[in-house]
Amino acid sequence: MLADHAKAMQRVCFGAEPSEADLELLGSRERWLVYRDLVRNRLNQVIRVALSRTRDAIGEDTFARAVDEWFSAGSPKTRYLRHIPGELAEFAIPIWQRTEAPWVADLAGYEITAWDIRHAPADPVPSSEFAFDRRPVLATAVRVLRLAYPVQTKPAPGAGYEPDPTILCLYRDRSHRPIPRKLNPLAADLLEAWRAADQTVAESIQRVAAAHHTEIGPEFVEKLSTLIADLIERGILLGGHSPP
Amino acid sequence: MTRDVAGIGLGLRYDLATELLERRPKSVAWVEIHPENYIDRGGRYQEMLELAREQWPVVTHGLSTCLGSVEPFDTSYLRELGAFLTNLAIPWHSEHLCLGGVDDRFFHDLLPLPFTAEAAQIASQRLTEVRDAIGVPLALENVSYYAPQGPDGLAEADFVVEVLESADAKLLLDVNNIYVNGRNFGFDPKAYIDKIPMERVVQIHVAGHFLRDDGLRIDTHGEPVPDDVYELLDYTLRKTGPVPVLLERDNNVPPLDELLSEVDELWTIYRNATGADDAR
Repeated sequence: MLADHAKAMQRVCFGAEPSEADLELLGSRERWLVYRDLVRNRLNQVIRVALSRTRDAIGEDTFARAVDEWFSAGSPKTRYLRHIPGELAEFAIPIWQRTEAPWVADLAGYEITAWDIRHAPADPVPSSEFAFDRRPVLATAVRVLRLAYPVQTKPAPGAGYEPDPTILCLYRDRSHRPIPRKLNPLAADLLEAWRAADQTVAESIQRVAAAHHTEIGPEFVEKLSTLIADLIERGILLGGHSPP
Repeated sequence: MTRDVAGIGLGLRYDLATELLERRPKSVAWVEIHPENYIDRGGRYQEMLELAREQWPVVTHGLSTCLGSVEPFDTSYLRELGAFLTNLAIPWHSEHLCLGGVDDRFFHDLLPLPFTAEAAQIASQRLTEVRDAIGVPLALENVSYYAPQGPDGLAEADFVVEVLESADAKLLLDVNNIYVNGRNFGFDPKAYIDKIPMERVVQIHVAGHFLRDDGLRIDTHGEPVPDDVYELLDYTLRKTGPVPVLLERDNNVPPLDELLSEVDELWTIYRNATGADDAR
């Protein structure tokens, strides 16, 4: 039966150790082990590119062990090769949080967010200019990342990171590269509110300022204007939509 | 509006796109893309596709809607694929005659189907289902395989023909795959070509492959096209007439000029074999 063959192929390609019974069912032990290598190597290639700094940080053996465990836990759910590193990271980061240096999870999270930014969908088209009485429209490739360690910087060889809480906006620039920009906590909450786009710009500013116990006075307005101009210049804020 | 696809095309791949899109060589008559690399994706890939469409007709070749899987299709993906293809105004779309996943999990490789009546019936039914869902002509592609799937190598040709006839389908004929299978399983690739109903062939693939130390040939798309594959292409084109030919190069991508030399070689074969006068 084709279904039995298909499941045997899956176990041979992704299982921790292919069973002799499956290899016998499929008919050619040596050649099905070739398939196992081909399938795993292709997936490994894209994972290693996306998480290259994490792999360097934890070492080849530890990294490969996590990938093998992920393979054994079930083959990829996504049809898109570009989403494979994200599936691996979702599985492996909780493991690395328990077993590796405390900053490794931040580093892997940072790398996978940068990878997602690079491959994120196309931007929406706003129906109007950015305005305070409209809902904001942001680029698709924008994420706010709250880190305990400054993993966006590269440490000296062999060194790790000291704790230094950092909030980043990661976005795709006009050359399609993921770029980190530091944010203060209020700006980060504003950006997340604008990503949600469920209020007008003015409403979201009032809500976030209140949550931060910040008065909307001249100093706030000046900083807000600078932030908005910068986000527009970087292609993060694209424009607005009229409220529904 | 659908644009004519004829002559020699080149696969649009990330590693060669920058130079290809800057130089826009006249010898490349059309390009092929994998929809999975572009659907729901912006950034550089969106830009590559927009630039390519300014210059060339585009044909699509799917990687993940393999025709031999046993589970129901992901209908939302088929809708998305259909919308993407309609927007591109392609003349046809192709998918592989293989097994690409099981239990809603994906291999990200093209695993061989057993050459059985059951597999042929499933593939034929699925091909019809995909074709109806996407709303554009659909061709299947014969794949390379490394584990024996039948009593003799030519059983694959019979299997492919059975699916083609049963689904009244078009064929993307990969001559490199036939060559690789022929060498790996000891049959004459020309005998395979002779079994194919040529009126169903809408496109041809050629590529290079990797020869391992143990003699097994792997369809890597990472080497130059070998002379034997050029010869098999010539043999095939003399039977099909001027069917568009695509050079696939996915790995170990060389400087563009090296690929364009292969494109020139393909044009020479194409002209000689078909008498086509639209050669660049």
